[in-house]
Amino acid sequence: MVNVTLKVNGETRSASVPPETTLLRLLRDQFNLTGAKLGCDVGDCGACTVIVDGKPVNSCLMLVGQVDGREVLTIEGMATADHLHPLQKLFEHFGSLQCGFCGPGVILSAKALLDENPDPSTQDIRDALGGNLCRCTGYTKMIEAIKGASCILRGEEVPAVKSA
Amino acid sequence: MAEKPKVIEKPDVLQQPDILRPTTAAPLVAFPIEVVVPEGRQQTPAVGQRASRADGRLHGLGQTKYIDDMYFPNMLFAKIKRAGVASARIKSIDTKAAEAMPGVVAVITGRDIPCNSFGPSLKDQPVLAETRVFHSGDGVAAVAAETEQIATEALEKIKVEYEVLTPVLDPLESLKLETPGIHAPSANIYGHKIIKKGDVEKAFAESDHVFEGSFRTQMVEHVPLEPYACIANWDANGRVTIYSTLGRITLGRADVGRTLGVPMSRVRIVATVVGGNFGGKNEIRAEPAMALLSKKTGRPVKCVYTRSEEFTSSTTRHPLIMDYKTGVTKQGKILGRKIRLVLDGGAYCSWSETTLGKACILSAGPYNIENLYAEAFVVYTNKTMTGAMRGFGAPQVCFAYESHMDDIAHALGIDPLEIRLVNAFDEGSLSPTSQKLHSVVVKESLLRAAKRFGWNGLGDGNGTGVKA
Repeated sequence: MVNVTLKVNGETRSASVPPETTLLRLLRDQFNLTGAKLGCDVGDCGACTVIVDGKPVNSCLMLVGQVDGREVLTIEGMATADHLHPLQKLFEHFGSLQCGFCGPGVILSAKALLDENPDPSTQDIRDALGGNLCRCTGYTKMIEAIKGASCILRGEEVPAVKSA
Repeated sequence: MAEKPKVIEKPDVLQQPDILRPTTAAPLVAFPIEVVVPEGRQQTPAVGQRASRADGRLHGLGQTKYIDDMYFPNMLFAKIKRAGVASARIKSIDTKAAEAMPGVVAVITGRDIPCNSFGPSLKDQPVLAETRVFHSGDGVAAVAAETEQIATEALEKIKVEYEVLTPVLDPLESLKLETPGIHAPSANIYGHKIIKKGDVEKAFAESDHVFEGSFRTQMVEHVPLEPYACIANWDANGRVTIYSTLGRITLGRADVGRTLGVPMSRVRIVATVVGGNFGGKNEIRAEPAMALLSKKTGRPVKCVYTRSEEFTSSTTRHPLIMDYKTGVTKQGKILGRKIRLVLDGGAYCSWSETTLGKACILSAGPYNIENLYAEAFVVYTNKTMTGAMRGFGAPQVCFAYESHMDDIAHALGIDPLEIRLVNAFDEGSLSPTSQKLHSVVVKESLLRAAKRFGWNGLGDGNGTGVKA
């Protein structure tokens, strides 16, 4: 067993778990934060994406020993009791998610991008989502939503989207 | 002539579905009920409206609960031992060492299943292989343990002795009657369909040119982001509740009841939010095994497939081998077409019959063809079973007939758009099965699309092309 203490969504949490436990399992099984999903368990699909110290990571590939003392943001930490994050708001508005399984991972990858680059191009967004697979949407509406959210975060108006 | 469909001029009820309308207003629905049949080519008011998903917000908040996000007190975790060999006779299965492991609560094999066969049409699939392995993803034993890790470890301790047999992997080989039947004593062809119209040989004789083409498609896995998962809970009253990602719960209840030897009324299936289906979650998989593990242990049992199990032990899209022969005039008008489709059904039937039918009916394409002969066969092979996937065979044949049309146009020196316009369905055309078609706008759609894309008659060789 190893003891880990880390900050999850602003709150200090501790656990004593077997050393082979991944961050994903820690979040899901110990802290009951089931927003991060297990899709492939080998770092291919990105459904388990969370933000560790500002960087998006595949939590299925990170062992608990690697997160001791670090700061983790999961999808559950994005919204406050009465405010959605602009990304969550626009993902809902644009219908960017269908089955929703990839959603938490995609939104966190997008957040990490916008934190670093407040005005990303379409290509920047595509690159940022390179590690997130989605089988329902074809990504188009996600890209629209991320662009829209970047406008809101810059204090600009979201431009009207041309209907197909 | 058929009577023109009746159209109500102002379907007020449809346009204002305001349930808060005062009840003193005129009744919402007139009696006898008048059925509004939209006229052909009339657009419904729904088109162009923005609609958001009822569950969209929870998806974005990470609050949607899929099966793997559910937990029940005292729950066990199950894993299934996979054969790893395409075709074999099972000589023995030794589960003693696995059962003796600390943390392992129960182990079952095919012998424990009361009726070890299921399937949406042919009941040819065992829940757990008992005497024969038909493809390498077959399950041979299932373990329920305190943790997923212990269950995974226990799989290593299960010793299975196989007499390995030569697998049949090529569908064309499987098609031959002399090839030994995979599910002996029957031959490997387990479904076929023939569509015949006019005289195709006469049409070929009258054609200016006859073209032949052969096309193949590969096996495709649905890869839903959420791997297959279920939770079974057999309660003290002898009823089982199964949380499942199943798309067809009534069919699932019947199949689970049949395999467990209990009436359907004792099987309750809770259909949960599904993390992507695409046709791959339309039939039961491990549900009966999980139900039995729950019965044996008296505890809820959860099973989540690994990504690799999703590839080896769930259904996939049928690979097709498609042979086309088409007789045309100099102008590109199709006089006759002959088609043979061979569907690789994999080890079990699943939704093969539906796929076979649809592929065969659609194999001629959306074209007026007076003389047609289309035959389709589906055969067993020792591979992952194939089943439903978006379109039930339609995308495969579309790839073939449209590629074939391009080849013909190219050989005749005709614009690929032109050859479609010469042959495409019109209003009232008859389908290959002689169904009269309405609301046909193939030609209009093609012309409008060509105009918008700036079609130059050739395509730019970079992803631009014509398809009807």
